[in-house]
Amino acid sequence: MSIMSYNEGDVMAMKRKDYVAIAANRRFGIQTQMVTMDFQKIFPMGCRLYISLARLATDVQTIAQRLKFRLNLCELKEGRQIKLYTLMSMVANLLYEKRFGPYYTEPVIAGLNPKTFKPLICSLDLISCPMVTDDFVVSGTCSEQMYGMCESLWEPNMDPEHLFETISQAMPNAVDCYTVSGMGVMTHVIKKDKITTRTLKPRMD
Amino acid sequence: MIVLLSRRTLASLRKGLGGCGGKTDSGSLPSRLLRTFRLSLSLPPLRTERADLRCQRTMALLEVCGAPRGQRDSWALPALDSDLRSDPGHYSFSMCSPELALPRGMQPTDFFQSLNGNGESNVQIEMAHGTTTLAFKFQHGVIVAVDSRASTGSYIASLRMNKVIEINPYLLGTMSGCAADCQFWERLLAKECRLYYLRNGERISVSAASKLLSNMMCQYRGMGLSMGSMICGWDKKGPGLYYVDENGTRLSGNMFSTGSGNTYAYGVMDSGYQHDLSPEEAYDLGRRAIVHATHRDSYSGGVVNMYHMKEDGWVKVESTDVSDLMHKYQEASQ
Repeated sequence: MSIMSYNEGDVMAMKRKDYVAIAANRRFGIQTQMVTMDFQKIFPMGCRLYISLARLATDVQTIAQRLKFRLNLCELKEGRQIKLYTLMSMVANLLYEKRFGPYYTEPVIAGLNPKTFKPLICSLDLISCPMVTDDFVVSGTCSEQMYGMCESLWEPNMDPEHLFETISQAMPNAVDCYTVSGMGVMTHVIKKDKITTRTLKPRMD
Repeated sequence: MIVLLSRRTLASLRKGLGGCGGKTDSGSLPSRLLRTFRLSLSLPPLRTERADLRCQRTMALLEVCGAPRGQRDSWALPALDSDLRSDPGHYSFSMCSPELALPRGMQPTDFFQSLNGNGESNVQIEMAHGTTTLAFKFQHGVIVAVDSRASTGSYIASLRMNKVIEINPYLLGTMSGCAADCQFWERLLAKECRLYYLRNGERISVSAASKLLSNMMCQYRGMGLSMGSMICGWDKKGPGLYYVDENGTRLSGNMFSTGSGNTYAYGVMDSGYQHDLSPEEAYDLGRRAIVHATHRDSYSGGVVNMYHMKEDGWVKVESTDVSDLMHKYQEASQ
């Protein structure tokens, strides 16, 4: 089994004009054995900024903690909240430092800018190539299934409830088609005035 | 009927049979054999009716002894040079199964090595027993419980695969391992069981059925088959449970579990098993074992298919979704 699918993980983010949604599955397993169903893969990095990491669990936690350290330092020095593009560059720098012995994880960033509240979603590969899109990004072991679901279900003009419905249909149905995935999905819908967090009831096999 | 033959007799018998191949002697094959047999024993020839009866006994005996039949050239490797169908005859407890065609000089295991991703090929077929099946005997018969997930690599191909083959109303076989292998060989076993019934007028015993399957596996040992099966039934000796493997392993026992989730299922079964369970308690034990195994193991899931083998045949108890059951157990424990 390859190192990228040693602990699996799946992450998805969708974007609309004024809000974004991010979802990740909650399984932590070691190869074929499931260990726990409440593993955190989405980390808040600011007021309306979330980063989610999939794949190797140790690198998920390491990157989240190192990034939080750098982010805190940056905000203390500058005295203001970080912008989304800056956060994306910071993550890219963190990953490229290990270009020849990389972290085995592929982050997805979703959020709203602090001042303008413009939404942004992007994903990066394990050696930091950023990809910014206008509709959805996926990352993880069952990315093919997730691409299929997103392509079928995503529509351009959705309100927040419709966006939540879409992501909560796309994500569980994609991960339930895959053996080493599943066990529940955590979703955050990020709007200007509030953030709604929901946990979806999973298939338990 | 057992006849003890001296070595000289056997040698002349074999010589007589070897001479039968490919020649156009006078008379039919059985009568030629009989003449050879009687000549070796220095007996005078008999009249025809008694001759035919003796022929049949000789044929049955020769089949058990393993002497070659008329037209077969060399039967060391049945997969090569074969143009034969299985001969109808008496008890065919020999390894009488259809031969699978193989090109000359090919090693069957090379096929799987080329697909294992060791070399340049990107295709990878993992031959793991990806499932959970279990069976246990108790005072009211045998419980058989299986999951229903079929996976190709890491992708779930089907959530509703039936992993129990209903051979006859008194015999069940479970499947774990490579789906193609299990389905083919167990359907072949079903055919052999039916032929046994038609030839002998009574149902085959569980012991004999499992032996047939085990012999089929032994014949193809080392060629990359993947099958872990449990043959369960009720015959004259009572409930029967045998585990048969692709290596030819055949074990009789009270409790088995096969597949990638078997360790989880054993844990639950061992902690709750007693011989004097009631049927409801036994169903609950089998159900819990499969549900907990599907929860932990990635390659098991879907529904629990449960069968109860009783004295008057098997009944299908239920087919329940494991996810609903797991939610129910979690709510009950809170």
